[in-house]
Amino acid sequence: MNERTTVDLLQGTLAALILKSLSWGPLHGYGIARWIQQVTEDELLVEEGSLYPALHRLQARDLVTSQWTTSETNRRVRCYSLTEQGRQQLRAELSRWERFSVAVSRALQARKPSKAV
Amino acid sequence: MNTAGRPERRIWHDTKADADDEIAFHLEMRERDFRERGMTDGEARAAAQRRFGSIENITTQVRRIDDQSAQRKRRTGMWTDLRQDIVYALRGLRRAPGFTATAVLTLALGIGANTAIFSVINTALLRPLPYVDADRLVFVWNTRNGTPEPLGPGCMMDIRRQSTSFSGFAGLSHMSFNIIGNGDPERLMGSSVASSFFDVLGARPLLGEPFHTNAADWSAVVLSHRLWVRRFGSDPSIIGRTITLNGKPRQIVAVMRPDFFWPLITGKPAAIPGPELWVPGGIGDIPRAAIDEERDMTGSRNAGYLRAIARLKPGVSLGQARAEVAAIGERMSREHQDDGGRGATIVGVRDQFFGPAKRPLVILSGIVAFVLAIACANVAGLLLGRGTARRRDLALRRALGATRARIIRQLLTESTVLALAGALGGIVLAWWGMASLSAAAPTDFIADNSLHLDARVLAFALGVSVICGLGFGAVPALQLSRDALAGALGEGGARSSGSRRAGHTRDLLVAVEIAVAVVLLVGSVLFVRSFLHLSRVDVGLDTRNLLTFDVSLTGERAQLQSRQVQFYEALQQRLSQVAGVRAVGAAVTLPIGGDDFATPYRPEGRAFPDAASVPRAGYQVITPGYFTAMGIPLKGGRDLRSSDLRDSEPVVVVNEQFAREAWPGQDPIGRRLKFDPSDTAWTRVVGLVADVRHFGPASPPRPEVYQPDSQRSFPFMAFVVRTEADPASVIPSLRRTAAELDPTLPLAGLKTMDEHLQRSLARPRFLSTLVTAFGALAVTLALVGIYAMMAWSVSERRQEFAIRLALGARGSSVMQMVLRRALGLAGAGILAGLLAARAASGVLTGMLFDVRPTDPAAFAATAAIVAVVAVAACCVPARRAIRVDPVTLLR
Repeated sequence: MNERTTVDLLQGTLAALILKSLSWGPLHGYGIARWIQQVTEDELLVEEGSLYPALHRLQARDLVTSQWTTSETNRRVRCYSLTEQGRQQLRAELSRWERFSVAVSRALQARKPSKAV
Repeated sequence: MNTAGRPERRIWHDTKADADDEIAFHLEMRERDFRERGMTDGEARAAAQRRFGSIENITTQVRRIDDQSAQRKRRTGMWTDLRQDIVYALRGLRRAPGFTATAVLTLALGIGANTAIFSVINTALLRPLPYVDADRLVFVWNTRNGTPEPLGPGCMMDIRRQSTSFSGFAGLSHMSFNIIGNGDPERLMGSSVASSFFDVLGARPLLGEPFHTNAADWSAVVLSHRLWVRRFGSDPSIIGRTITLNGKPRQIVAVMRPDFFWPLITGKPAAIPGPELWVPGGIGDIPRAAIDEERDMTGSRNAGYLRAIARLKPGVSLGQARAEVAAIGERMSREHQDDGGRGATIVGVRDQFFGPAKRPLVILSGIVAFVLAIACANVAGLLLGRGTARRRDLALRRALGATRARIIRQLLTESTVLALAGALGGIVLAWWGMASLSAAAPTDFIADNSLHLDARVLAFALGVSVICGLGFGAVPALQLSRDALAGALGEGGARSSGSRRAGHTRDLLVAVEIAVAVVLLVGSVLFVRSFLHLSRVDVGLDTRNLLTFDVSLTGERAQLQSRQVQFYEALQQRLSQVAGVRAVGAAVTLPIGGDDFATPYRPEGRAFPDAASVPRAGYQVITPGYFTAMGIPLKGGRDLRSSDLRDSEPVVVVNEQFAREAWPGQDPIGRRLKFDPSDTAWTRVVGLVADVRHFGPASPPRPEVYQPDSQRSFPFMAFVVRTEADPASVIPSLRRTAAELDPTLPLAGLKTMDEHLQRSLARPRFLSTLVTAFGALAVTLALVGIYAMMAWSVSERRQEFAIRLALGARGSSVMQMVLRRALGLAGAGILAGLLAARAASGVLTGMLFDVRPTDPAAFAATAAIVAVVAVAACCVPARRAIRVDPVTLLR
């Protein structure tokens, strides 16, 4: 695997995670980051900043939208939520991931093939 | 899901501030987390930043993504809007078929007129000429008093040798060829050219290979595509075939391409259909002289029968070359007595071909531009009228959130859609009009009926229509969108302020339309008057039932003058015996449509200091009987006789203009003159005839001298046959009689004198017809404009009229009220138009015959016509005003 594919895969995964994080309702960027870190135990999001280009790219593709709201500390906060398109995309990602992981784990757990095959 | 507010499509948002805020919030929250875990403020900040990564890098990335996305959305949004606008516009136009038809037809007329005229300009002035680097080609001329005239061989060789401006140089002459075999004998217009001719032009043939510089077989001939098709049935194996031209065999070496455009080159610039074949020059590579193709012309300095084309060296400008040639001309006229008074100049090839067409075309395109302006003003008025009816609709859209810019854009889309529909109609009209334009246009406008719709013409039509759409759409769009802004929802039926403003704008448009129509109509009337004067001019001969044709002798018969005269006498004798023929005569060139032969002359007893001051006269060689056949009355002395022989005293007949110039106030009969100081004998004037306008009705008679062919003859003559009735009926018997004398002799260019006369009037007729047609179109469009405006303003004020009538006003007074306003407008428009026409009349100077551009009669007639038209246009709507039924309206 070259580096480019790794990045693609990671970005794809990150996008899927963002969509998943928003499936329970609107969140701001920091909220998304924290959720990802919790569920992945800091494995995926080493640099928190890389979350934002991913988020804005999703927005550009109309998978998420954002609104500016005001926080308790009276700051402008950008809150993201899933669009209908985003919801569909998430479902597609989930089923693809399932097929992928089943296939990979089946392959990795396979025994030595018999000669007949 | 859009929970609250509008989705993030605030496209003008500051993406930098947004990204900064978003990231700052993130860092702040992270810091707080770290502090809660027990870090100090400083540690927490550093850790949060470390954790985040490069803030600057991320900010830039995020902004780029946002900017690109915003841009993309803006673009697709615009397309969606445009599609929507077009659909909306089409729907709206379909719902108002009367309005749409009027507007589209109006525009189609305007755009069609412009497209048709542009197609002429495209052909005459803009099309590429089929030569390599055509802009570097020039024609070389001698000049006399600034007027170009053909070069003599010696002058031409001097210019060629002494000039350093040219990289290529080729002389050419015009001559005619009798061709026999392959069908009836026929006389063809041809050209004898220096061997470098095709190389200088850089013209390539369709078949074979033309001759090249210093490598021309004397017997070669190159055919034009037209001749190849017409006479040789496009025979692909024609190269190498021998044909008989002027009694001599010549071998066909090449056929030029169909687009090889080469007109007749005359001192008066014009693109007249040109030679059909080219042969190499004679001795010394000098183009042959029509008068005797075998004669050695190298020693002749001033026999002016040559034209020359030259190619400018790279880096030499037209001005530089012209200055050099002028200097050479001046030096020659100092060094050679014979050259006295002559200069030399060059003319760019495009100016040479199309120069004279330029000014009329510029005027015509100005006229059609005005016609289009009227059409646009009309449509703008219609749109305004329609717009006031749509105020509620627009206000509603505005209230529903459409911005003013959006509404303006929508209205402009509508007008552009209209204009494009007009352009389609216009292209159809232009295409239809081009056929008749091609047929009617004189040949010096467009050479060979070659008008067609090419990509450039179509692009022109579409471009003009888009500009018009935006132009005539702008006024109503701005005004209506402002009215919509004012929120006309509340005001329904009453004449609102917006409607009143639209009314004022329409008034202005109508006044301007009338003014422009007046300007164009003044032009039309001037041209018509000029043409009427021109067509009523007495050219000095009776043109009815007069048939003309050319005869050109070849072979032995052409060599000896005595043989020539013998033949002409025999032919004239036989032709006059033909039933239906009243009289026959012949002249070396005919007035109106013939060539221009001129000669210097020296009346006895007058001395001339230099060659430049010697007077010149038109030169004619005629057979006895010519004056009778032409109907030119003898005013004194005697006619020429066949007994005036070579060995008797040389005699001439002169016309009255000649007598006035040579011997003012004296009787010319019996006086003597010499054509050349070296003449041994004096020539005696024996007769005086009335003046003839040799160059057609537009040019005053020139001094003319007539010599008998029995004393000096040429191997070609133009015969005139006066017939009892329609000349067409005797043509077959004339042909038969001529063939009895010589079966190989073609009677070339059979035409009636009336046809020649019509041809000489073709250009003024073409211009006056077009200008009149466009003037009439302008007035019609203006009439439609006034009518529509009046109809609209009356319908807007129906309630007011109803109230007035209900309160006891008489119908006539209401009608007067309506008419007064309309006539005020018309009066203002007419006055402004007359003033503008007076100011612009200068452009017609020199284009009118016997009419001043400020002719008061034309101005008065125009004012009267437009006033009558305006009143007529107002009366119908005004009558409608008083037929309002008060009860229905007031209820």
